[in-house]
Amino acid sequence: MNKLTLAGIITIVIMLGATYLSVGLTKGGIGDDIVNQLAVAGAVILVIITVFVVIKYVRQMQTDTASGKLADENWDGIGEYKNELPAGWALMFLGTMIWGMWYFTVGYPVNAYSQIGEYNEDTAAHNAKFEAKYANMDDAMLVEMGESVFLAECKVCHGLTADGIDGKAANLNQRLEAVVVKDVLVNGSNNQLLGFEFPMPTGADLGLSASDIDEISAYVGNDLKGDQPAMFGVCAGCHGAEGEGLDGVGPQLNGFNNTLVTNVLTHGKKGAIGTMPKFADRLNETQIKAASAYVTSLSK
Amino acid sequence: MFHWLEKHPFFFSVGVFVVIAFAGLIEIVPNFAEASRPTIGTKPYTTLELTGRHVYIKNSCNACHSQLIRPFKAETDRYGDYSLSGEYAYDRPFLWGSKRTGPDLMRVGNYRTTDWHENHMRDPQSVVPGSIMPAYTWMYTNEADVDTAYAEQLTIRDFFSVPYNKDIPMKDGSYEQVVLADTLAGAQASALEEAKLVAADMKSKDIQDAVAAGKIPEIVALIAYMNSLK
Repeated sequence: MNKLTLAGIITIVIMLGATYLSVGLTKGGIGDDIVNQLAVAGAVILVIITVFVVIKYVRQMQTDTASGKLADENWDGIGEYKNELPAGWALMFLGTMIWGMWYFTVGYPVNAYSQIGEYNEDTAAHNAKFEAKYANMDDAMLVEMGESVFLAECKVCHGLTADGIDGKAANLNQRLEAVVVKDVLVNGSNNQLLGFEFPMPTGADLGLSASDIDEISAYVGNDLKGDQPAMFGVCAGCHGAEGEGLDGVGPQLNGFNNTLVTNVLTHGKKGAIGTMPKFADRLNETQIKAASAYVTSLSK
Repeated sequence: MFHWLEKHPFFFSVGVFVVIAFAGLIEIVPNFAEASRPTIGTKPYTTLELTGRHVYIKNSCNACHSQLIRPFKAETDRYGDYSLSGEYAYDRPFLWGSKRTGPDLMRVGNYRTTDWHENHMRDPQSVVPGSIMPAYTWMYTNEADVDTAYAEQLTIRDFFSVPYNKDIPMKDGSYEQVVLADTLAGAQASALEEAKLVAADMKSKDIQDAVAAGKIPEIVALIAYMNSLK
């Protein structure tokens, strides 16, 4: 046994001892922890292989002598043997070249990773999951989803409690405010809240005087509570005697309903308070339905 | 041959460059040629919009707000469709932004309106409780610099061939033109016309009086720019 092998064996013993101590002293020890046992087994194999491979190459360095034909050129006295390229290397080199041709012509153009492709897959998967999960929703679930849609999209203008933040947007806790009714009566309206009805004429065209308009605005703005003004009959022709709305003719005045809110969300709206953008591109159909259910539930 | 290359480091370097550049050629050039064209529906800025863009840059809005929507579901849900490089064809400089202290504004024109901006820029906390955005009250009194915007329009038309007064294809198959006036007076007049449309949707009496008197407050230009971001 020469010095080199002896040094190798001593190194193995020290390293395995250190492994045994460091694992054996931890919680669980080597006895009942399968992960620790595997770690120790791996360490034993690694240490032994490493030491014998090192010994082999140190021996080779001690005994090897150089031989072969030198190339003509040398760099600062350092020469180069004209050895044949190992066959494995040559094959790998050729293989890389062939793979490169394939990659440049077919591989990259056809099979490249696409960020947009991954986005499309993600979105499709999400939409499928959404549709499956919310295929059949009862009213309570719709209102619940509607509230979260409201908090994400609508509260920025209408406020957390849907009060319109001091007139900055419509107060959704009631159907109509007096100022809005008055604006519509003075200027007419073509917001198509039912989707296809005729535009509403101005109050003057309907034969209402300025004081009639004030009375009706106050009455409708108060959720149609209190004494009905005499001239409300003009409104009732299209909006119903109690302001309950007539299908295809005039929208409901005494509360929100799903059709009305859905139409506003889909097409946007411009009125006395300001402009509301359309949300058709930002919310899907289920979300619009849910938001409508929530807004309808607010004024009940 | 390899010994020859080893003995001639200059030609060796050229060879290495060619091999590496070839990969770049394959991967970058075709994609870039496609993506750098304006997307259908992307228009150059009008005089007032460009004035507003200068206000945006002057107040460093891009330090807190990005204009770049990445293709992630969470992001497109919140801000709208992901950005395409062709949509920035007329942006000089780009306002992609460095970080998002505030939300992305790439498509803010789709979901915020003139009257909302009017409230929000004067007092952000009044509409967004807990917002850390400062108020920009001086924009309501400072007058916007239309002349510089017009000078920029002339420059980019002449040097970068930005298609002012030319047919621009829109998404629905129609064509639109963005008018660039021949004279400075004409540009000021057309900016004022645009400003009147914006001011008509604003509540502040002062702003409406100023626009009626032929002045354009910075806020009007900025809102015109915000509304153009779609």
